[in-house]
Amino acid sequence: MQKFLRNFDLGIFLPTLVLIVVGLFAVYSATYLTSSSYFSKQLIYAFLGIVLIISIVLIPYKIIYEFSYLLYVLSLLLLLLVFFMGVKGFGAERWLAIGPLRLQPSEFAKIATVLAVARYLSQNDRSINEWKHLAVVFLMILIPFILIAKQPDLGTSLVFLALIIPMLYMAGISWFFLFVITTPIVTMIVAFNLYAFMGWILLISIVLILARQKGIVKFGVFVMHIAVGAVTPVLWKTLRPYQQQRILTFLQPEKDPRGAGYQIIQSKVAIGSGGVWGKGFLQGSQSHLNFLPAHHTDFIFSVIGEEQGFVGIVLILMVFVFLFLYLLYLSNQVKSSYARLSLVGLMTILLFHTLINIAMTIGLAPVTGLPLPFLSYGGSFLLTSCLLIGITMNFSKNRYHI
Amino acid sequence: MRNFDSPQRSSRVYVFSIFIIVSFLIIVIGFFNLQVIKHHYYLEVSLNNVIRPVKLNPVRGLIFDKNKRILVDNRPSFSVALIPAHVTRQTIRQISDRFRIDEKSIRIKLRRASKFQPVVIARDVPKKQVIYLEENQYFLPGLEVIPDFKRYYPPDVNSPHVFGYIGEVSPEEQKKHPEYDLGDMIGKTGLERYYDLDLRGTKGVRYVRVDASGKILGDYDPQLNEQPIHGSDLYLYMDYNLQKFGESLLEGHRGALVAIDVRNGGIIALVSKPDYDIRSLSGKIDPQIWSNLIKNPNHPLFSRAIQSTYPPGSTYKIVAALAALQEKIITPQWKAFCPGYFRLGRRVIRCWNPNGHGWLDLYGAIKNSCNVYFYQLGLKIGLPVWSKYSKLLGFGKKTGIDLPGEKAGLVPTVAYFNRIYGEHGWTKGNLANLAIGQGELLVTPLQLAQFAMIIANKGLYYEPHLVDHLYNYQTHKVMSFPVKARYVKGIYSEYFDVVREGMHEVVNGGTGWLGKVPGIDMAGKTGTAQNPHGDPHAWFMGFAPYKHPEVAIAVMLENAGSGGGHAAPIARKFLEMYFYHKLIPRPVVKKDSLKTESDLNPIQTVPIDSLRPMPLIH
Repeated sequence: MQKFLRNFDLGIFLPTLVLIVVGLFAVYSATYLTSSSYFSKQLIYAFLGIVLIISIVLIPYKIIYEFSYLLYVLSLLLLLLVFFMGVKGFGAERWLAIGPLRLQPSEFAKIATVLAVARYLSQNDRSINEWKHLAVVFLMILIPFILIAKQPDLGTSLVFLALIIPMLYMAGISWFFLFVITTPIVTMIVAFNLYAFMGWILLISIVLILARQKGIVKFGVFVMHIAVGAVTPVLWKTLRPYQQQRILTFLQPEKDPRGAGYQIIQSKVAIGSGGVWGKGFLQGSQSHLNFLPAHHTDFIFSVIGEEQGFVGIVLILMVFVFLFLYLLYLSNQVKSSYARLSLVGLMTILLFHTLINIAMTIGLAPVTGLPLPFLSYGGSFLLTSCLLIGITMNFSKNRYHI
Repeated sequence: MRNFDSPQRSSRVYVFSIFIIVSFLIIVIGFFNLQVIKHHYYLEVSLNNVIRPVKLNPVRGLIFDKNKRILVDNRPSFSVALIPAHVTRQTIRQISDRFRIDEKSIRIKLRRASKFQPVVIARDVPKKQVIYLEENQYFLPGLEVIPDFKRYYPPDVNSPHVFGYIGEVSPEEQKKHPEYDLGDMIGKTGLERYYDLDLRGTKGVRYVRVDASGKILGDYDPQLNEQPIHGSDLYLYMDYNLQKFGESLLEGHRGALVAIDVRNGGIIALVSKPDYDIRSLSGKIDPQIWSNLIKNPNHPLFSRAIQSTYPPGSTYKIVAALAALQEKIITPQWKAFCPGYFRLGRRVIRCWNPNGHGWLDLYGAIKNSCNVYFYQLGLKIGLPVWSKYSKLLGFGKKTGIDLPGEKAGLVPTVAYFNRIYGEHGWTKGNLANLAIGQGELLVTPLQLAQFAMIIANKGLYYEPHLVDHLYNYQTHKVMSFPVKARYVKGIYSEYFDVVREGMHEVVNGGTGWLGKVPGIDMAGKTGTAQNPHGDPHAWFMGFAPYKHPEVAIAVMLENAGSGGGHAAPIARKFLEMYFYHKLIPRPVVKKDSLKTESDLNPIQTVPIDSLRPMPLIH
């Protein structure tokens, strides 16, 4: 027991617990006027989540490692299943209904993909700076990305693209490779304006000339950018108008009169009216009067902002930052490169969700439907977040394991 | 993991940490801006005013014909709405009195909606009322007059079965399509329904500040407002003059006329009679008119062209002929003797011509529509083969026309008969009946027109469609729909040539001679379908010109009598208008020279006791 407690990483567990409890209070405040069932459900899920964390810590480290690929394949199968027999939710996301349970395989797929990529890169001393391995890693991320984007859940699928860059970065990818991976996205965007495109290509050419690489590789990268720039507008034109509309709405949700703009306005009013000290627990009039839709799920942070004020917000943000920095620090401490890369990837999932969700509530990021880890109402996402935390604590316990 | 040592790693952890801290600092600055710097502003907004999005209704897309003639248009109208959060008892009573709506039903409607969204209570409110309400708005808290649009149809446009009508979305429809808001006007039938998502456009939004009583104080931030986007305009394939002419031909009848361009599946005319006045269902619907339409025994709300199914009668003999030819059961030269009757077991069934047709080959049998020949042929083919070819030729399944509610009809199979009559409960009599298009077999007029298109093109056909293209106001682009070509697999074109030849003779001296358009070489087939509702249904299907077909047509008249005598002349008149843009005067014909099926003697089907009476409307 004592040995267990010694290896039980409170540096991860305590911030998690604090966030879950804050989330419970916030969900209660956001829903007590409508129905008490939200709070009691969330309470049960929070309890289950903590049990899940403890049981994952107890699993032998080897099992997680050995099961990485299997879990990945399993999550792909689930995604395929959801593709054929999923239940449509209110938004674009799809759920898999198994009896009373409603699972969202895309949440699970994020974790499984991180573990599989980490395992691939840590095995046999593979270097990410070889084209072959880089291609395999991209493929591993691209498959779930396409399956989820097809659902069509653009927000969740973007998490996949977002988590690859920190992982590769911490896997030691060379600056030149990082440059090659990230720049095509910019190229796609500027491809619609000839002058911007010319300027951008000029910039790329300068970087390429300065880079210490083989001439043929440089030329290949240059041609790739030209090709991407030429193909993107053509591809865009082949899309049906409604498909274009879907992408445009994702990029500028406040232009969508269906309500995203309204949500942002109301969220800002709720947060702004909270002031420095907040209106106090259960006193948030804006969020209670149903001015703010989805205030217990995606916009839970607005409820906290209104009731707890700037001081409360900063305290909660500090807990988040502490958790992320601690996980990053831990990734530098663990012996095995598998655990190290997994930690970076898992941390990135949480980080991306947190940043996008909170930035959304103050109108700095598009309304994507990404929930806030530990705080948003929703059992499926809370359990996956706890699963993720359990895995990191397992790695912490076995930090000297190779 | 080569070439990646500890110090280098630590420096990267350092860079990543900086990234995290900077990101959160930006967010903290964002909160500082809202909660500390602009706190007073937002506090005031939250205390004194409420921001409300006001939905701006888009103009519903128009419908044009081939010549860009406007068929369905819009006119501005006004709706009266109530906002549940601000409405008083006094307002509800006033509105209830003024518009003669039950107070209770208003309350139920208000309860269903969200508190701050206006709920439309009355549509298409007369101008006088609007002026009165706007003048007295101060005494009617929670009331709002919303500018809206209603459908407008130019004079001499009707065709309700093509266009359909619009109405307020029902809770069930909303459950099925969450994209509809409460109180939205959506297409209920016809093109309005099929293309609703295109026609309806995109709503705009205007953010306004309102005070505690719901009165609008002004714009919140005009930059956030969004203009509504005009719904897509539909451009039909048809020339509306022809459609109208088709409708005038069927005036006074119960029936349908379908004409398809065989080169692409475009609908030239889709007529169903009786119909109703499309204007009576535009805007607010008079309950009296509605109940009359529903109770009318002639079912004017039904589109007979696509929603009613009938036995096709002798037109269906072509299917049996194609099946027999392709399966090599007969050659076109195979002959059967028609003595004027046919013996099946102990029963004797008469041909429509009691004198008998004598020895007939396949061409002669089609030309004279000899029942005895096809009874024998049907027995030779057998039910499984007959069902297979019926389905190959597009029967028993929907054509896929761009209208809602299309019926698939019924092609009986062995499994179907076993289910209905039991394993041994059905006889050869059922099969003989099917071969001449009687019995349980049911088709829609549209399916028969499609069949005529298949024969005209020798197996190639296109999905029938009314809409040629639409114009999208968001992308400012014309969106064309791909023409969906299909092919009847497994029937050789030489066999189509045989039945085409037979159908050619039908209009040139055969039972369908009244369908012949002077100067146009064409082909067709008549049908006179027995049914338990009275006189037989009259059918005619055909295509023209014979060599290079342009148009396929099917005409059906309920309980009108013989196909050759009643349906064929209507098809002829339509085709004359199509080819010559005028009617060709006819030489006077003596009555006794009429040579059509049942003008001589009504056809007799195999008397089967278990023949189910077929309901007129399915």
